[in-house]
Amino acid sequence: MKKAKNYEYSHAGVKQSILRQAKGLKIPQGWAEQIAEKVAKATDEWIADKELVTEDDLRRFVVSQLKELNADIAFAYHNHDKII
Amino acid sequence: MSDLLCFATIALAGFTQACLQLSFGGLILLYHSSMGRHRRRKTRGLATSYILGVMILSFLAVSGAAFWISQAASGGLSLEIMLICVGVFLASAVVMWALYFRWGDHTELWLPRSISRFISRKAKHCNDRVEAFSLGLLGAFAETPMSLALFFLVGNCLVTVSANLQVLALFSYLVIASAPLLILKGAIKSGSTAVAAQKWRIKHKLFARFVSSASFLVLSAFVLAFWVY
Repeated sequence: MKKAKNYEYSHAGVKQSILRQAKGLKIPQGWAEQIAEKVAKATDEWIADKELVTEDDLRRFVVSQLKELNADIAFAYHNHDKII
Repeated sequence: MSDLLCFATIALAGFTQACLQLSFGGLILLYHSSMGRHRRRKTRGLATSYILGVMILSFLAVSGAAFWISQAASGGLSLEIMLICVGVFLASAVVMWALYFRWGDHTELWLPRSISRFISRKAKHCNDRVEAFSLGLLGAFAETPMSLALFFLVGNCLVTVSANLQVLALFSYLVIASAPLLILKGAIKSGSTAVAAQKWRIKHKLFARFVSSASFLVLSAFVLAFWVY
């Protein structure tokens, strides 16, 4: 059986991944920064009481937060690895 | 065979190849990831190199097929090989309808996941024009199971058409087959985004399945009617 890799959660990592998607959508940087910071903070709180989360869980949570703030970034975040 | 018939076949084959989704999906991925990391000018350069890669592979494949036909098949494909091509087109029509797109609210394709992940990873980390060019070659190469018979058909047309029209015929095929890539490039240059294109693809997935499958069916009927009988 393939062994899963463990990664340390990073606030900056979540923020960067959202900013990358936002930049691809030509969303103004200031607005994108605000959205990314809000979602990263919410993710910090959500993850604080958990010892281990899967990448899929983390992605689902980030997408659910993004949906409330910007549907386009949520779509890009959710679908960027399902194009081909 | 008349030149007009050759050009009609080339147009139909080009349209059929244009319906294949792998190169198009690769370009969307490249655009989206590059726009998030690079300046617009660099992204445009990468996209141009990617499209060139796709076109060069098609050019080489069609020219190679034409050369082989002119040398080995004494100036034109035999009736048996044309019938095999028709069979492949019919099988491709079924595959395009039933298997080409994976089920679900996305546009994942029939490719083995390891190849798909490899292309996605390369597209996401593409930083220079040479990488983008080779990615275009790779994307077009990964599509050859569906396009090989098309290359032979177009190669046969190139051998059959008048000598002074061969370059025009080849160029027409390359432009028609790459039209979706060129249209996407134009759309993004005029303000659209890769995400908008991807949304369109998901929304019209059934339509894309129908058109790509129907184009193979029409092509096989066309070849049967005008090249076999």
